[in-house]
Amino acid sequence: MTWYRSGGLSSVFFVLPLLLIFLYFSWGPIVRGLVLSFQKNNLVAPAEWVGWANFSYVLTDPQLPQAALNTLYFAFLALLFGFPVPLFLAVFVSELRRTGWLYNVLSYLPAVVPPVAAILLWKFFYDPSGAGVFNAILGWFGIGPFAWLNSQSLAMPAIVLEATWAGAGATSIIYLAALTGVRTELYEAAELDGSGIWSRVWHVTLPQIRGIILIMMLLQLIGTFQVFTEPFLFTGGGPNDATTTILLLIYRYAFINGDFGAATALSVLLAGVLCALSIVYHFVTRRWSTT
Amino acid sequence: MTSASRWARYGAALGVAGLVLVAGCAKGTTPDAAGGTGGAAGGEVDQNAPVTITVGDRPTPDKPNDIKALDQKIKDFTAKYPNITVKSTETNWQAQTFQAQVAGGTLPTVMSISFTEPANMIPNKQLPDITDELKLVDLTKDLNPNVLKIVQDGKGRIYGVPIDVFSVGLAYNRALFTQAGLDPDKPPTTWDEVRQYAKQIADKTGKAGYAQLTTNNTGGWMLTTMTYSLGGTIESADGKKSTFDDAPTKKALQLLKDMRWTDNSMGSKFLYNQEEIRQDFAAGKIGMLMQAPDAYDMSVKNFGMKPADFGAGALPQDGGPHGTLTGGALKMISPKATKNEIVAALKWIKFEQFDKYTTEASAVADAKTTIADKGFVGRPGITPLSQDRYDQYNKWREPYVNVPVKQFQGYIDSTSSLKLLPEPSNKGQEVYSLLDPLVQQVLTKKDADVGKLVSDAASKVDARLAR
Repeated sequence: MTWYRSGGLSSVFFVLPLLLIFLYFSWGPIVRGLVLSFQKNNLVAPAEWVGWANFSYVLTDPQLPQAALNTLYFAFLALLFGFPVPLFLAVFVSELRRTGWLYNVLSYLPAVVPPVAAILLWKFFYDPSGAGVFNAILGWFGIGPFAWLNSQSLAMPAIVLEATWAGAGATSIIYLAALTGVRTELYEAAELDGSGIWSRVWHVTLPQIRGIILIMMLLQLIGTFQVFTEPFLFTGGGPNDATTTILLLIYRYAFINGDFGAATALSVLLAGVLCALSIVYHFVTRRWSTT
Repeated sequence: MTSASRWARYGAALGVAGLVLVAGCAKGTTPDAAGGTGGAAGGEVDQNAPVTITVGDRPTPDKPNDIKALDQKIKDFTAKYPNITVKSTETNWQAQTFQAQVAGGTLPTVMSISFTEPANMIPNKQLPDITDELKLVDLTKDLNPNVLKIVQDGKGRIYGVPIDVFSVGLAYNRALFTQAGLDPDKPPTTWDEVRQYAKQIADKTGKAGYAQLTTNNTGGWMLTTMTYSLGGTIESADGKKSTFDDAPTKKALQLLKDMRWTDNSMGSKFLYNQEEIRQDFAAGKIGMLMQAPDAYDMSVKNFGMKPADFGAGALPQDGGPHGTLTGGALKMISPKATKNEIVAALKWIKFEQFDKYTTEASAVADAKTTIADKGFVGRPGITPLSQDRYDQYNKWREPYVNVPVKQFQGYIDSTSSLKLLPEPSNKGQEVYSLLDPLVQQVLTKKDADVGKLVSDAASKVDARLAR
């Protein structure tokens, strides 16, 4: 009982409120969600336990395969376009010693625009008629007009383009912070060995920040699997369900159908997949990780 | 450290922990819907007991005259019923957030909601049975029995009070009609004419001759409307099976496909929700579209359309007058309300919504405040009451009419000749959301196979209806 005599109890009392707040507000909803996924519950009538019925229902919903494919497609495109852009931006800005701050501001600015406003603005850019902003510009070169959001094949890439624009700034700031941690001696040594700028980036910069790169890639993967705002506001899931993502489906279950059981069941499944993905990712990348 | 200060620290920490615990448990002690404090389950009605109700739909601060009128109404009401206290909130119905409000238990005692809601809310027990209370406040006999069906279950019990009714017609731009060489006083009444007119408008003016709603469930909603106008239905009478895998729905989709790909008369935008389509219509980019006459308000007031350009015709038909889809708004009462609160709420609904139909002074006062807030008096619609009473009401308000009623003539004629068909009775909004992609597909994919689309959607809908 020495820890008690030396004041251990008071630290327990001090930690308790924080712990309770954390448990209630951070883990409470998660537990509540789990419980909901096994109930037939519209939160007004008394709840009714239905076992795995919600899970079997969402797993057999004919809309699920399409939504899953769309989500994967979004994640793939976002990784393809969205991942290199902020990295390139960060390396580029860090190379500009004197006017770096200007590019810094310019690259971060899109992140300041509220997402809803940005999407409405881009919707205007994507106007499918020849008079739309993008179509007008492409028209000068004799290309188009494209249907953009009104085309089943173009809608998703168009959404990814906007998402990349919106997200690149915030991510590149993190890379920039990581880049300041790269020791300058390494560059000096490389320069003495006669390596050019690309070679320095490839052999010094990237290996030095690969820990951050790996983390950012995981965060981006998890983020893209939860994409909602863009398809919801741009296309409402259309055309022809080409941009209906898992989260949009969850949203429809809950707020159109009032079926909170199905919505939480699908959420739980998604969370499970993301957990599994994170674990696999961790083991696969452990060899390259710096930490 | 002294023991006193240590105990003070324990005390402070315990206090905080205790507060958190209390906050955490508060939810657990809230009475739930079923066993609430003397809730729907039991208790005699005491009309004189003190009771407090909250009413939604309080006007936003940009409508000071409406607020003044409401506050005055509350004052008059509480003078008449001193035992009732009325509070008002700005909470209002939005399709995208309503279920969350219901689930969150944040609804006021009384609020306006759309006709699409009761069909799902009644079986879900999200609306209280108010049949007996309606008789108590003497409101049942005033209501239009056809419209009342929307808020009744199979046994004829009533779960809400319809206050506002519309039916879908064809809104059209009179200026574009003139430019295209069409007579703006003769809107099309058959779908064949719509197709011809649309092509003529597109050819002559370069604008979309006809446009269709397609997203956020409005695609399914309007496909349903078209199906009705071609003599079809979406669901069986008991709501258990889909019925649209037949000629009318296919014909509707084929017609859209032909207008889009053969005639090229539908412009280039095919992802439209209600607000966006009205915006483009008001801007003169669309010749014709299916809308209820209330589209006039938003088009003119929010999007600056010239009143002279707005026309409203009948919902086009094919192969005989089949009918048109109706919708509207009703006043719902919170499922958490006690019997006394339900009675007080119904007294309020009667006072606020129906007295204007029965006394000339209220009818005129209502018209005056509407005009003061740049609203519209005299826009044609359908009555939630008996026709005689509605005609009388319109007569009182005639001097204040500020809507070009003549331009609605086509629609007005159709209200007596077209049958009013209610929306799908089971899971209406869910069915609409499953039908959206069909309309989007025929408009964005040239080789869309209408027959296969319809039968695929039917099996999806059947699966959903069976849940």
